Amino acid sequence: MSESGMTYAGYVAAAYAVFVVVLMWDAIVPLLRIRRTLRNVSLRAKRTTARQAPISSELQR
Amino acid sequence: MNPVIRWFHQLGSPPYFDRFAARWAPWSFGLGLLVMLWAGWQGLFVVPADYQQGDSFRILYIHVPSAWMSMFVFGLMAFYAAIALIWRIKLCEILAMACAPIGAAFTVITLATGSIWGKPMWGTWWEWDPRLTSELLLLFLYLGVIGLYQAIDDRRNAARAAGLLAIVGVALLPVIRYSVEWWNSLHQGQTIRVFGESSMDPSMLPPLIGMVIGTKLWFIGSLLLRARADNLEREAGKDWVRQRAGIDTATERTP
Repeated sequence: MSESGMTYAGYVAAAYAVFVVVLMWDAIVPLLRIRRTLRNVSLRAKRTTARQAPISSELQR
Repeated sequence: MNPVIRWFHQLGSPPYFDRFAARWAPWSFGLGLLVMLWAGWQGLFVVPADYQQGDSFRILYIHVPSAWMSMFVFGLMAFYAAIALIWRIKLCEILAMACAPIGAAFTVITLATGSIWGKPMWGTWWEWDPRLTSELLLLFLYLGVIGLYQAIDDRRNAARAAGLLAIVGVALLPVIRYSVEWWNSLHQGQTIRVFGESSMDPSMLPPLIGMVIGTKLWFIGSLLLRARADNLEREAGKDWVRQRAGIDTATERTP
């Protein structure tokens, strides 16, 4: 880097920004997929448990 | 049985792989990030500017490792796909398909940073140069593999079809590598050699080596995480996945 500052600074910054943004996307997407899958499994299990629960006395009467 | 072979057999088990990936992916990401931060700092602020290109040459520290990764990941994807097709190993199908979006991401970085670098140096954002065009074809191949995998409902058939495309696509890798030698190209030739003397000044090499190692570590983390996500989706109905989701499978079964 020269004393007067970086030459082509805008181009260098843009290139590094692309690198950071794409790598962040690369890390975040699978994390969200894992979280969504585990949440769906959990919700499905809760629905199954609710379906198997005894019917309330109000309905039995 | 040999412990290494036994470990490979164990790794093929979906719950074992899930535990393995969950444990090692954060380490790989963390180490990769640290190495890349160091290399990025060196490349941006410590290494002297190039006598011809000025500071624009600093784009090299992300452009070149990404370009190498774009080809390395494709080769690895085809390797996993070949193993999956020959020995029908489910984990290799998952790993092959997990490679595709990561490789596509590195190809996008290569094309974008190359274009940004090309504007001040060549005076244009894009040129239908053999190296640039063949790298663009590599991106289309990655997108083709991803698209084919998503287009077929049966996960195993989808992975086999997309894996076959990956294996055929390997033919493009030598074309990318030697395009600057085979055709008259605007893109510069090879300046860094693993075997033999590089035409790059030695003071400029450490950040590049750091970025190469950093991107490899990042790739391992991303591969483990993406393979884990696919593995969990495929096995969503199994007890071990319910346990991972925090459900007590013993009480769930009791009416």
